[in-house]
Amino acid sequence: MSLLDITDLTVTYSTDSGTVHAVNDVSFSIDEGVNYGLAGESGSGKSTLAEAVLGLLPSNGSVESGSIEFQGRDLTGLSERERRDVLWEDIAYIPQSAMDSLDPVMSTGAQIRQAIQTHRNVTDDKARSRVRELFEIVGLDPDRIDDYPHEFSGGMRQRVTIAMALALEPDLIIADEPTTGLDVIVQDKIIDKILEIQDRMDSSLLLITHEIGVIAETCDELSILYGGKAMEQGSVDNVLVNPTNPYTMGLKNSFPEIEEGDQDPVSIPGSPPNLSEAPGACVFKDRCPFATEECEASHPDLVDLPNRNHRSACHHVTKAAQMRRDATDPETWGIPDSHDESDRGEVLLETDGLEKYYEQSQSLLEQLRGNDPNYVRAVDGVSLRVRRSEILGIAGESGCGKSTLGETIALLKQPTGGEFVFDGEPYEHYVDGNMREFRRKVQIIFQDPFDSLNPRQTVRQLVGEPLTIHDYRTDERERAIIETLEKVGLTPARKFLDQYPHQLSGGQRQRVAVAKALVLDPDFLICDEPASMLDVSLKVNLLNLLRELADTEDIGIVYISHDLASLVQVSDRLAIMYLGRVIEEGDVESIAAEPKHPYTTSLLAAAPEKDPTVDRDRVLLDGEPPNPVDLPSGCVFAPRCPKAEDACRENEPGLDTVRDGEHRAACYFPDGEIPADDPADDRSGSAYGNPEFSSPASGDSASD
Amino acid sequence: MSEFQRFLAKRLAISIVLTLVAVSVIFVVLRLLPGSPFESLVTAGNLSQQQITEIRAMYGLDQPMWRQYLSYLQSILLFQFGYSILRSQPVWGVLAPRLVNTLILLVPALVTTAVLSSLLGMYVGWNRGSKLEKLSIITTTFLRSTPVFITGILFVIVFAYNLELVPAFGMRSISASPEGYVETFASLDFLHHYILPFTVSVLYYSGDFLLLARNGVVEKRGSEFLKLHRAKGLSEMQQLARAGRNSMLPILTYFALRLGMIFQGLILLEVVFGWPGIGRELVLAIQQQDYPLVQAAVFIMALAVIVANLVADVLYAYFDPTVSTSGGGAA
Repeated sequence: MSLLDITDLTVTYSTDSGTVHAVNDVSFSIDEGVNYGLAGESGSGKSTLAEAVLGLLPSNGSVESGSIEFQGRDLTGLSERERRDVLWEDIAYIPQSAMDSLDPVMSTGAQIRQAIQTHRNVTDDKARSRVRELFEIVGLDPDRIDDYPHEFSGGMRQRVTIAMALALEPDLIIADEPTTGLDVIVQDKIIDKILEIQDRMDSSLLLITHEIGVIAETCDELSILYGGKAMEQGSVDNVLVNPTNPYTMGLKNSFPEIEEGDQDPVSIPGSPPNLSEAPGACVFKDRCPFATEECEASHPDLVDLPNRNHRSACHHVTKAAQMRRDATDPETWGIPDSHDESDRGEVLLETDGLEKYYEQSQSLLEQLRGNDPNYVRAVDGVSLRVRRSEILGIAGESGCGKSTLGETIALLKQPTGGEFVFDGEPYEHYVDGNMREFRRKVQIIFQDPFDSLNPRQTVRQLVGEPLTIHDYRTDERERAIIETLEKVGLTPARKFLDQYPHQLSGGQRQRVAVAKALVLDPDFLICDEPASMLDVSLKVNLLNLLRELADTEDIGIVYISHDLASLVQVSDRLAIMYLGRVIEEGDVESIAAEPKHPYTTSLLAAAPEKDPTVDRDRVLLDGEPPNPVDLPSGCVFAPRCPKAEDACRENEPGLDTVRDGEHRAACYFPDGEIPADDPADDRSGSAYGNPEFSSPASGDSASD
Repeated sequence: MSEFQRFLAKRLAISIVLTLVAVSVIFVVLRLLPGSPFESLVTAGNLSQQQITEIRAMYGLDQPMWRQYLSYLQSILLFQFGYSILRSQPVWGVLAPRLVNTLILLVPALVTTAVLSSLLGMYVGWNRGSKLEKLSIITTTFLRSTPVFITGILFVIVFAYNLELVPAFGMRSISASPEGYVETFASLDFLHHYILPFTVSVLYYSGDFLLLARNGVVEKRGSEFLKLHRAKGLSEMQQLARAGRNSMLPILTYFALRLGMIFQGLILLEVVFGWPGIGRELVLAIQQQDYPLVQAAVFIMALAVIVANLVADVLYAYFDPTVSTSGGGAA
């Protein structure tokens, strides 16, 4: 008997503007000890499904029909009280946003203890020792059980929620996007942890995510959801290797992969379906390039494919092989193939040893004593060059200073040292009364499309505002706005002019944010994680848009992200940051193909692989980045580096320690080269870089 | 010195500076008022010029302003409030009983309403959209926005004159002549007089707490951590308790502020119910320019507000572990 049996589940939400059909006739079952994946874009109903199983649907949501049988018991028919007994005891839950899902005013240990004591009659002492045990299992320091959530980092908080889910050794763990919002390296560690624990406890896992790669690596079976319908389901090996449904193909193709750096990912154009009516036609027909009249008539049933654990809901299953071939071609999806590398133009922005230090607050006493304050070195001697029509990707974990770097080169923050030249004029020129000119030429796109737009302004006002501020094209305001909206793909533009941000989808909002930046025809664009909140297909749309802008409009772009896969897609050159320093820099192709710095290697290795047949070597970095106030001497990465030797701890390698044409890295023992017999003695030798260039990273390395 | 002690020392220092500023402002403002405490006596012709000079010398009012200020500072910081000019008795002797009368009325009322209306507020916030929510908001907002003397008079008319359940006026019966606080307050007669003004002040304060608690819970209701609490199998009431616990801060702040302001009394309420509190006394003292009395009263009020804020700051750190005690943002 299977553990969880979901049969024809239909969930609706009643809203002011009618009923939303979030989940429509979805069936699947999870056997004991099986990892089951649910994939899909936002709005596909995957979270709703999890909430329905847990009985956590918001008050306006209800299970219309169908059944959820858990160990033979129908969960939909349980009373509130019976359900509370099942929750956590049998089904535990790992929530989506680790940052907000712990009670901020309750110590982490107490929250886990509460979960235990709600269901078991155990003494405080026993519960406490269980919590210590759990902390140990998930790799947290058991002495920290009395710490509050804000004292933990995002990844550690997610470990706390995992520890909580394990507390009662449930039969089923539902993990709703457990790694979204975490850095790749942390994400990789968390997934590794979940798998390891689950192996030990032999429980089943229902993993919900929009990252196909995560599912490919962790799950045995999966369902692909779209518009509340299961589009394709079956064993991971079958579905992801040989998808038979156009949607799965699109989803898989839009998931960028590092190895295919030079190939544009193919996105699915259009936006998710309107769910205000129960689906009559195939839910994917509007975006499907293979749609025929048959697809208009009815939504296809899931069809069992012969001889394997694989079901697909498509009228054209029989033509799957043909569709698979076509689906990799962007033109099939109506996207013009416009990948002509334009020549990179003149240097637009140049920094040399740029620094941004933050002084730490000092007590009065220390100030009187005249002690030098401590500095947080957010940006520590970064030398960059960006040309016209070039995209420079900046990658790194959170806290590596990449956002501060972005804000500093946008001059939103004053640099505390180093040279800064933009468009031939130095920093002083702009500070000295020419800031407005700079602000027009340089635009920044922020991370969160939900917060960076004023909710009380229409699109017209939002996009038009910069024009008013800079008195730019004010006589043809409306035209400028419409042109820009069309440029970013919001067509027809007139339709959007009078809408407010809340009426737009996430992808459209981000496009408005981009339009806002582009309306002034800037020369330079700084994008700070613009895609981190977006679904894969929207993300790919945005990346392609930026690429196109760089190619056609001749603007320079700095793209800051922790997502190396998308950086590789979009950038011409990459700079990898660690603790305020650039530790590797070079052309995308050469970095992706042969990374030199061990940190880059581990970043690349942490990205999940969407092909389930490929076994990936995990390079799990120990610990977290050190405290930026109290940096270790020598190479800052040495404490976490698998290859670190004494030499690394003594002297800090400069960015020119290793160089191969444009490709440079700050490492004595670069990857991909055979080390000499006794590296410590021979570190100035040619195998480890040209001795002429082994100056510190903050030196004149940008001038060559 | 631990982080918390340093934080405490800093807040204490700030409080002391604030107190000094408040005390100085009182001094200056009173001196800026036209006339003097003896004006009325002079115009009535009851005092000769020589008598006035003598009295002024006795109170030290003939000395230069800075000397007056210094001796004022010295005394007030030692809690030496001097003699009331008009009542010819020590200021503390006039103020202390009035202050106690006010506090015994308003502190229990404030605590009662803070507890009851916050709980009710949390409950209605959790059950958003219910009839009870609308009803409670409308009622308390109405009570809050009606001037307290109107509500007071209404209650007096209904309960004292029409129903004759409680006396309309005063703190004790006219015939009672109790000695000391215990005898005054520990009696049924007092309770009888107490109940009406107490009820009115409870109702008067209730709206703010109810709305604060409700908004806090409404805001927290959709949050992720409550979803996790729910997934853990906590009952509805346990979840509500967590939501309430998480929205304590604004309530706490408001409670501390109100507690400090209670020392000013509710002047209108004291007038309506003939309650011999500090508010009424202050109004009289200002009218008659009784410098020492006004200075002392205002000093006590300012001090109360400052101390209440200090207490709130300290409680913050206890109630919300994320509040950074170092003054800077969280790391």
